Amino acid sequence: MNDMSPALWLSRGTALAQFRAASDSREVRIGAVIVGAVALIAVLAPWIAPNDPQNQDLLSTLLPPAWSSGGDARYPLGTDSLGRCVLSRTLFGARIALTVALCAAVGAAVAGSVLALIAGYAGGRVDWLVSRAVDAWMAFPPVVLSLLLMVGLGTGVFNVVLSIVLVDWTRFCRVVRAEVLVVRRRDYVAAARLLGFTHFQIVLREVLPAVVPLIITLVSLEMGIAVIVEATLSFVGLSVPASAVAWGMMIADARSTMHEAVWGMAAPVLAIFITVMGFNVLGDGLRQSTDPRLRNVRA
Amino acid sequence: MLREVAGVVLRRLAGAIPVMLVVSIVVFVVLRLLPADPIGMMLPPNATAEDAAALRAAFGLDQSIARQFVIWLAHAARGDLGVSIHFHVPVTRLIAAALPATIELSAAALLLALAIGLPGGLALYAVRSRQARLAASLFVVTLLSVPSFLWALLLLLLFGVTFPVLPFTGRVSGGVALPGWTGFALVDTLAAGQLGAFADALAHLLLPALALALAFAPLIMRVLRSSLLEAATEDYVMTARLRGVSEARILLRHMLKNAALPTLTLIGVQFGFLFGGTLLVELIYSFPGLGNLMVQAVRDHDLPLLQGVAVVFCIAVLLANTLVDALYVVINPRLRSVR
Repeated sequence: MNDMSPALWLSRGTALAQFRAASDSREVRIGAVIVGAVALIAVLAPWIAPNDPQNQDLLSTLLPPAWSSGGDARYPLGTDSLGRCVLSRTLFGARIALTVALCAAVGAAVAGSVLALIAGYAGGRVDWLVSRAVDAWMAFPPVVLSLLLMVGLGTGVFNVVLSIVLVDWTRFCRVVRAEVLVVRRRDYVAAARLLGFTHFQIVLREVLPAVVPLIITLVSLEMGIAVIVEATLSFVGLSVPASAVAWGMMIADARSTMHEAVWGMAAPVLAIFITVMGFNVLGDGLRQSTDPRLRNVRA
Repeated sequence: MLREVAGVVLRRLAGAIPVMLVVSIVVFVVLRLLPADPIGMMLPPNATAEDAAALRAAFGLDQSIARQFVIWLAHAARGDLGVSIHFHVPVTRLIAAALPATIELSAAALLLALAIGLPGGLALYAVRSRQARLAASLFVVTLLSVPSFLWALLLLLLFGVTFPVLPFTGRVSGGVALPGWTGFALVDTLAAGQLGAFADALAHLLLPALALALAFAPLIMRVLRSSLLEAATEDYVMTARLRGVSEARILLRHMLKNAALPTLTLIGVQFGFLFGGTLLVELIYSFPGLGNLMVQAVRDHDLPLLQGVAVVFCIAVLLANTLVDALYVVINPRLRSVR
């Protein structure tokens, strides 16, 4: 850190400069467009979906997409084994996916970062305790812990969010703590202390702003992870109740009829892939444009 | 060197004991939040309240959580993880039957991931122009956006259903008997000289292992590329270049060796990700491993089994981390005899 030029140092200090750099990045723009489109679909689903996603048309089950032979124009992407419209279900599925992604990522960010700020700034025994908790959590394969939590908590959107927060706070805690350890040794933190700032003020006004860009990047990546975890849990049948529409659930339904109808799985699989890719491209772009070390490598 | 490796292994294992203790407390407490009553499912419909209480006492479920934990821990320390509520056999026996399949699957997946990821990382490093770099990083991010369970479904649809060239259920075809000495299908069939059965087991392993590998390989590609980019700025590269060493030789003999360390670290840190991925992949391919056992336990609310499997998953991750640390000392001379 100390071998950075003063100009680079300053540019790192001001969050504004970082976001200006970020909006110049092509990756950030591509990611933002994809995420924005999915969000728009989630909001507008009731108006753009051709059918009610729960409506069962038992006379036209497992229809192929409208453009292939045997398709029906009323169901552009065909129907599932209960005669429900695949397109409508895919569009509505974006709602659960994005709700869970947003809430879980923000929740994990808050929980992980607060612990990281306390541990990294206070050091000593508090730091030791938090670090050991992170170690123990890291021993769990994430899927195993989230399955356990869902068994313990029971299904429902809130519990899915809670279980992702309880599993993934460590992703934030580990990375942010390391950054806090660097930041708290900076001169301006010492200066603030000399000026008589309380510890709380220093953390909130001097340390936190320095790690916010990092947290935002991690939130974007975490949203992609949360979409995958929700899909995984709803695939196993441990996420939302059957009255809701989730992509993982659609995949599980389509899997039971995959020998008769291969296409039923395509729409939800593609939806998950596009959404996760949007978050990943956005997060990757943010990471590259806000991390001065990476900026040097690319230049 | 052997002494240093042994020291690292011992220190890691000693550090793993408190971690395991915390892990088992977490597992225990989480599962006691359970709203569903595992006993309720075992009783016949005409059972009385006394019957329920008797069964509850038989499984020790009438004790306080702290007391249940102490009893469980005392038994676990002696290698007794209790009796499965659903299968009525010792949990350890169920796990011992399933574990080799999962280890075999993750080992095969790791090998495939390296076989895809290492050349991939080198290829990405070789990309130089600005345009191509953006394309390359978009390519890696795209690959990173496909989790192993989606790969599992896609491969299943492609090579199992649409073009039925590979088997996609179980470890071997029906009718093929595994010798069952070590529990590792590939090892056992080879040791028994049953080449047909070996080929069959290998074919069954291919799709699930590939699904896991395809999700893991982009991580390897990315870290290898960035460590190679970092290594390229080191002095020894310039020195070698001035000495007239060829670029290919610098890359393969010098830089790759240094870039291997961050790659190894990544494999250690992310092993849980790969190992956890087996859970859904096993479910999708009806592969009789630990993951399938866990999903089964989840569906049956089989507490003792669920506890046992979760703890074994964590032990496996900790052991893998220890192994990576030991390898680190073997590969990196700077970590040897520094003290």
